[in-house]
Amino acid sequence: MGRMLWLTAVVLIAMAGAPGAAEAPPIAQLKTVTGQVTIVRAGERLPAKIGDLLFEKDVVETGPDGALGMTFIDNTVFSTGPSSQLALDEFRFDSNNFRGSMLADMRQGTLAVVSGDITRGSPGAMKIRTPTAVLGVRGTTFAVHVCGKH
Amino acid sequence: MRRAILAVACAVLLTRCPRQALFVVLPNAEGGGTGEITIDDGKTATTLDQPYASAESRAGSIGPVEESRGNIGVIFRQAVAARPILPHYFRLYFILGSNELTPKSAIDYREVFDDIKQRPVYEIEVIGHTDTVGDLRSNQALSLARAAVLRDRLVRDGVERNAISIAGRGKRDLLVPTGDQVPEPLNRCVVITVR
Repeated sequence: MGRMLWLTAVVLIAMAGAPGAAEAPPIAQLKTVTGQVTIVRAGERLPAKIGDLLFEKDVVETGPDGALGMTFIDNTVFSTGPSSQLALDEFRFDSNNFRGSMLADMRQGTLAVVSGDITRGSPGAMKIRTPTAVLGVRGTTFAVHVCGKH
Repeated sequence: MRRAILAVACAVLLTRCPRQALFVVLPNAEGGGTGEITIDDGKTATTLDQPYASAESRAGSIGPVEESRGNIGVIFRQAVAARPILPHYFRLYFILGSNELTPKSAIDYREVFDDIKQRPVYEIEVIGHTDTVGDLRSNQALSLARAAVLRDRLVRDGVERNAISIAGRGKRDLLVPTGDQVPEPLNRCVVITVR
């Protein structure tokens, strides 16, 4: 019995330690990658390549020569220029009724957005946080530049 | 010496980046009306709803700012250049009660295939629909069969099977609202999203 409990504990700890990515569904896919692009997932830095899937809580970063483009499962399109840092804090989307919510944290660099179904299903569902303000989106093409912390 | 270099570096950074953030509405990427964004810093909310309308945050406050199209183009050049091909949507139609495409849709299929082929990586969703002739169960099966036929055709033509997801909505999600038992041709359809 004691051994059984111990085993269970080991399994639970192993499960808790594993990145959630394997369980959670992907929320976006990298469609364009130029120069140095990194995905930060559960504290690990992974070199990114075209076709890579992205998950809630991932952070994507571009180097001084880097740029990337991604398309979310609601057909929202994000792209960033060089020296950018973007955290995909929250993304929920139901393709049956287009309801959901999205929160991205634009920490640094340049971001261009073409919003998708999530803003059609629930206006105000998409928010982009910057160090100085929060952007509410009602569906459009727009861009954000956040200057670096120097 | 080190201090002097630091001072120069700071000056360069300051002139490059006197503002903390810039927010810009761009013309819609693929036509359609302009939407709007609202920038809220907890004190004030600034709404932008015209192409090239801009706001900046500087010295702890946010407000509208005139920024030239030229500057906007320069600041966001690489971000916009990195934009993927936008998602595209297609509808293909079927013959009454069958999973065979209408003659016109059989030709239009080519546009779907060509759209997929121009993308370095892609994901495809195929959702099948029916008209309201017949019962719920047979229409559910028919809508899924229509989606499957499309997927199989794409796979035969060399599209990666793993990149395609299919679903059937039967007569529960009509593209053109009708009463029950109405043979509406526009409802015998698959909706294909390519992204």
